[in-house]
Amino acid sequence: MSRKVCIIGGATTPFDYGPTGFESIEGGAAECVREVMRDIPDFNLRDIDMMIYSHFSVHFGHQLSAEWIIHDHLGLVGVPHYRVENGGNTGGSALYAAALAVKSGQHDVVGVIGWETMDSVSQSQGSEFIALASDIRYELMVGGIYPIYYAAMANKWMRENKVTEEDVALIAVKNRNNAMDNPKAQWYRNEHRYITVDDVLNSRLISYPIKKYDCCLMTRGVAFLLVTTEEYAKKVNPDHYVTIDGMGLSSCTIRAGDRLNFPGWIERYGPGYPEMTEFAACRQSAEVAYKQAGIDNPLKQIDFGEIHDAFSTSEAQIYKALGLADSENIAQFIRDKETYLEGSIPMNPGGGLMGYGHPVGATGLMSAIEAYYQLAGLIPKKHLSSKTQVPDPHTGIVNSHAGTGTSISNFILRRV
Amino acid sequence: MVKKKFAETPNFTIRKDFRPLDVKEKGLVFVGYEISDDKKTMNQFLHYDQLYTIRHGWNSPFFIGLLEGKIMGTRCPKCGDTWVPPRTHCWNLDCNLQRTEWIEMPKKAKVHTWTVAGWSGRSSLKRLPIILVYGVIEGSKTAIANELHGVNPWDVEFNMPLKVVFKPKEQRIGAITDWHFEPADEWEPSPMNKEKERIKKLVEPVYEWVKTLK
Ligand SMILES: [Zn+2]
Repeated sequence: MSRKVCIIGGATTPFDYGPTGFESIEGGAAECVREVMRDIPDFNLRDIDMMIYSHFSVHFGHQLSAEWIIHDHLGLVGVPHYRVENGGNTGGSALYAAALAVKSGQHDVVGVIGWETMDSVSQSQGSEFIALASDIRYELMVGGIYPIYYAAMANKWMRENKVTEEDVALIAVKNRNNAMDNPKAQWYRNEHRYITVDDVLNSRLISYPIKKYDCCLMTRGVAFLLVTTEEYAKKVNPDHYVTIDGMGLSSCTIRAGDRLNFPGWIERYGPGYPEMTEFAACRQSAEVAYKQAGIDNPLKQIDFGEIHDAFSTSEAQIYKALGLADSENIAQFIRDKETYLEGSIPMNPGGGLMGYGHPVGATGLMSAIEAYYQLAGLIPKKHLSSKTQVPDPHTGIVNSHAGTGTSISNFILRRV
Repeated sequence: MVKKKFAETPNFTIRKDFRPLDVKEKGLVFVGYEISDDKKTMNQFLHYDQLYTIRHGWNSPFFIGLLEGKIMGTRCPKCGDTWVPPRTHCWNLDCNLQRTEWIEMPKKAKVHTWTVAGWSGRSSLKRLPIILVYGVIEGSKTAIANELHGVNPWDVEFNMPLKVVFKPKEQRIGAITDWHFEPADEWEPSPMNKEKERIKKLVEPVYEWVKTLK
């Protein structure tokens, strides 16, 4: 029997574009750890026996191996460390690595720190940096940035699933308005207003059918997550820890156009899947995580999720890949507001990437931290009110997503 | 004894430079700073400008093909799968990374999916709005992204027939931007409908905005 892996604490800096109050990455990291120390008085830095760093692009920082700066700033000399990079799924992949380290028995208390400083260049230059994770030889110069690739995929998906611009706008509205209860969320700290479906529909065209408010934010931010054995969890934070009961990580092509007939997918799911429309790596990693966690009806057995809403359209596509709805009922599922706080499976009560923000290396960790807060009942303490606390949740899903669906992880977290 | 190289050094006899005059390689240079009036916060400006060499190696026939106005794809001699963009080894696990062979592809394609971009990366802003399509070049198992020209943004359709159109020879640089898609000669746009009106409404401010760019 492999060991149980637990999340026992976590915190982020405020997410912002521009000053967060913790401008240096090592200062921000230290402040995240300090917040966790306040939450868990018995946790001591000496207990950490490995650090995993989660950071996407050196282009934003112009500092290679910036994790070395953070690591020694925290006083952790001698403690093993390495960095994980996996596009937008960097945070999810770092969590995966930390969980493997604990599960294997090699390490007991693993800290994970993620960050990105996307405001070090202009927004359009930032988009172009991120697009360097597409296949630059064939895709970058043809007007290609990620929102455009996602729009092309979503345009076909929405048509085939009879999902409208108004439908996905409901998702954009939900996540931003949820963020209005979260003082660390970039939407709360910057634009700071409640929005409507009309606001989304009237926002500027990014790439049809995606408008500005269908898109996530570019962000500066740092996150820290503490992943440990159950023995350690019971020792230092017995009343507020959660277990990782299932985890999956899967992959798909870098170029979305290569998915039409890929032999590796045809073998698994038959011809015509995932096409350019479905997130096969999401479906597969969810299937693995569900199996480990004993979930056969995700809609019934999962209470909420923190998922990768890089675009309102991709959140909708993720619902389907997670098995919450199918082609027949996905549009109605969205229109019935099943993923709103009052729905059957609230998604992104913390604001998600559209509301909280998307500092790439910190993003998946932010999602895991919010899910941890929900399950540990800490939302009233961490958010402005109990409005965004999912009532009495037992099981949550955390989803992290890279490229055009090129790497996707899913985690099932449970309250103890 | 002179140590021999394991791979022969190619003899590069054709070289073309078309670097714009305003692109200067300076490497890493601190070019300024700003300090807040309370003297508590400082921002520093670092400029980084570096020439990279993309060694296309085994993929070179594709890019040399572009200069010659050809779309080069590859084909697996074992299973027959054919690709643009090219793969130098087969994707089929049963073919055990079979090396593929180069073939010239037809300049005919079909729209697999499409979008109309009103925003893009810094280097593409002035060309907005851009119609990006994923087109399947006839015979290919994959779709390739490129721009669609010669049609109103609201008139693109799924499955519409396309042709590959190259820039004039003297303007080609051996990059994917040497060609674009255009509607096939026999294609006619369908009449306006609700969705087309919607796209038109979304795109009109983009034309205006681009005019304001320097
Ligand atoms: Zn083959």
